[in-house]
Amino acid sequence: MADHPRSDRPAATPAGAGQDLQKVSEHLREVISSLRSEQERLASDVRPAGSARGAPGGAGDAGELERRRLASELALAREAVAHANEERDRLRARVEELETEHRVLSDDYVAAQARATELAQLFVALERLHGGRSRADVVAAVQEIVINVIGSEELALFERRGEVLGLLKAFGVDPGPIHAIPLGQGVIGRTGASGATWIAGRDASAPGDPELSACIPLRAGDETVGALAIWRLLGHKPVLDEQDHAVFDLLSAHAGLALQLRAPEGGALDA
Amino acid sequence: MDRKKILLVDDSSTVLLMERMILSKHEYDVVTAKDGAEGVEKAVAERPDLILMDVVMPRMDGFEACRRLRQQDDTRDIPVIMVSTRGELASVESGYASGCNDYVTKPINGLELLAKVRSCLGQ
Repeated sequence: MADHPRSDRPAATPAGAGQDLQKVSEHLREVISSLRSEQERLASDVRPAGSARGAPGGAGDAGELERRRLASELALAREAVAHANEERDRLRARVEELETEHRVLSDDYVAAQARATELAQLFVALERLHGGRSRADVVAAVQEIVINVIGSEELALFERRGEVLGLLKAFGVDPGPIHAIPLGQGVIGRTGASGATWIAGRDASAPGDPELSACIPLRAGDETVGALAIWRLLGHKPVLDEQDHAVFDLLSAHAGLALQLRAPEGGALDA
Repeated sequence: MDRKKILLVDDSSTVLLMERMILSKHEYDVVTAKDGAEGVEKAVAERPDLILMDVVMPRMDGFEACRRLRQQDDTRDIPVIMVSTRGELASVESGYASGCNDYVTKPINGLELLAKVRSCLGQ
């Protein structure tokens, strides 16, 4: 019996062994079948439970990942919006700064241009007053300055002759009543006597003349040698301003001097 | 940028000097004429880019000078700005009827003059 395998069980006949093998085989088939059923059951249990609970490894994972991705994107978007808002605020502040700067520069430009015009007016007045060769040139220059720089077409130029102001030139007004004005009489006479400029509305304490806009003494050094009276301003010229006052000061200081320098010795000026 | 040439037409030396001072410092070349007739001659000879024209002048006034300029092929397209002490509507209308492009009043305001000059020159 050395060719048979050792066994604790009693030796079986070949017919009995065949039946045993068949039984074992059937038993194994049942076990395998049972295992397959169990496997299928477990598999079917896992699928619905996983999707309902979001268990790892299932569709719930994908949802959680998507939620996290969207939350992350939302956070990034919020950060971008906050950054954009900051940038917008910064740009707004810069625009305001630039607008303020622009306004200041515009105001400066306008002021500089006004100043340039004023200086041009003064230069032109000076050039015209002293550029003429004769008294007639000086008188014409004063008239042009009043018409084109001050803005009036009603004026009269006087020179002092003893105790009166004698009319040198009238333009746009009747010369008859103002041919000779005693010093101290009315606004023109007082200007000739006092040597002080009178401007309508500026010196409320001094008695005025409702028709006159201004009266300027003409000086040669400390002496008042004449006067320039200006009546109505041009229709589109509302008031006399600081630029006009500066021109008055220049006329006061230079027109009389220019006339004196060209005056015929002891002679009266031509009217 | 090309320097623009401006013809100033006025019988007043004061106004010519004022306009010259205002315009010259802004890099414009300036030529002058003392009345309307001379203004038309200078416009033909000098071909300015712009003309500033006084209204009341001896020999030929500004309106007539402007009409003459508009009748000539060489000068009909030159912009003309009338410069006058008269700011009344009737006077302004006469200016436009004669063919002027714009209007400024005396006393000259430097800022206003420069703005209108630049506008007429397309600057």
